[in-house]
Amino acid sequence: MSDPLISLKDVGFTYRTLTGLMKSDKYEALKSINLDILPGETLGIIGSNGSGKSTLLKILARIFSPDEGEISFNAKKISLLSLALGFDPRLSGTDNAILSSMLLGATLKEAKKIVPDIIEFSELGEFANHPVRTYSSGMRSRLGFSVALRMHADVLLIDEALAVGDASFKAKSERAIVEKVSSSQTVVLVSHSAVQVNRLCDRALWIDKGEIVLTGDTDMVTRKYAEAYK
Amino acid sequence: MKSIVNPDMRRKTVMFWQLVIIKVKFNLRSEAAQSYLSYAWWLLEPLMQMGVYLIVFDILLHRGTEDFVAFLLCGIIPWLWFSKSVNQSGNSITRGKGLISQTYLPKPFFPLVVIGQALIKQAFVFVLLFVFLFIYDYFPTIGWFWLIPIVITQLLLIIAVSFVVAFIVPFARDIQYLIDAGLKMVMFGSGIFYSYKSVFLPQHREYFLMNPIANLIVNYRRVLMEDVPPLTGHLVVISLVSIFVILLMTRVMKRHNNTLTLLAIE
Repeated sequence: MSDPLISLKDVGFTYRTLTGLMKSDKYEALKSINLDILPGETLGIIGSNGSGKSTLLKILARIFSPDEGEISFNAKKISLLSLALGFDPRLSGTDNAILSSMLLGATLKEAKKIVPDIIEFSELGEFANHPVRTYSSGMRSRLGFSVALRMHADVLLIDEALAVGDASFKAKSERAIVEKVSSSQTVVLVSHSAVQVNRLCDRALWIDKGEIVLTGDTDMVTRKYAEAYK
Repeated sequence: MKSIVNPDMRRKTVMFWQLVIIKVKFNLRSEAAQSYLSYAWWLLEPLMQMGVYLIVFDILLHRGTEDFVAFLLCGIIPWLWFSKSVNQSGNSITRGKGLISQTYLPKPFFPLVVIGQALIKQAFVFVLLFVFLFIYDYFPTIGWFWLIPIVITQLLLIIAVSFVVAFIVPFARDIQYLIDAGLKMVMFGSGIFYSYKSVFLPQHREYFLMNPIANLIVNYRRVLMEDVPPLTGHLVVISLVSIFVILLMTRVMKRHNNTLTLLAIE
């Protein structure tokens, strides 16, 4: 078996919010999480609201670093699929695509090389040279989505709501995700929907109150999860 | 301590600086797209600010000996560079909320972009200064090469102070107001409008020069107006202290990365 791309050992995370001078609230969002993300797998993280699944995704995206335990990365490019990452409405679609792909881990050279591909996938045509503020919200999310999908990340992190743009682009983006998922791309998908996880993932992890309840075969985990929330 | 630079580390460093540069470039482009006169404002804005001071001090108050205008400009131009960079760095991390909530970026990125934008604009302002000096009969000499270490020292000082304020402001945004007030105080204490030699007794001048801004302004005037070398020892001390603060603050921001992220997202 090959080495995990991301490995978490006893990871814990606590939100501390300042409520005043020298006063703070604590909220333990994750407790001793052990998890290996393996190359090529599609892992579904499932849980209800406030279960800690989004915090876990943020730890994987390195937005937060764990307070406790250890996390080690063997993957170079880990991208959180987000729409309109770092978009500046006054810049053109092309400029924003360059900026966005660099924020997702591309070098300038790589970004410039991949941009024509991104623009083509986004179906923006000549609008690519117009400022993003002139775009409809559908066009904007199409561009954001295209950047994230055309970047070849080692690990792609996806937070539920996959639907973007109009119906035909929605179908196209879902196909693209399924394609990514079934290819050798490593994907971590966070969702509260057992159906979605069951459809797309080959391994599932159920998280509740910051702790892993169950992990393993998707069918088994999603069935137990669905029973628990009936 | 690991002394081996692995390729992954190098890639990260290259990417970080590439991203700073491209963000500076795009921000300048975006800023220019906001107004009808776009890039012309890089010259118009400082011209207007310089104009205000000139009208007040030279025409209304008749402070002027012949060289007062040149004297004033040599002080006000470096000052505006410093104050703008520091002032805008204050809330640079909180303004970076959108990026911070979606991707990992070392926090020094945010003040560095602010500083980079100000630096590019400042280059044009310095050219403007040279033109004014030329008009007022100060011709370039070989000694003007001393400007290079002075400008580098000032840049290091700007980065150091900006890192400190960028780190502190997210904890209490009230501090941004204190920065505004603090900068005004420093402005009047830095000998922009007066010569320290005519205001302070010889035995007190040493203390005045401990203010790094005042010190830099004195050095700009020595090189541009008096044609004498700068106080190099002072420049070295300011640079070294600044470098120390920059390294320290980089570590502090790394250590408190989660806290800064949470404060910015809230």
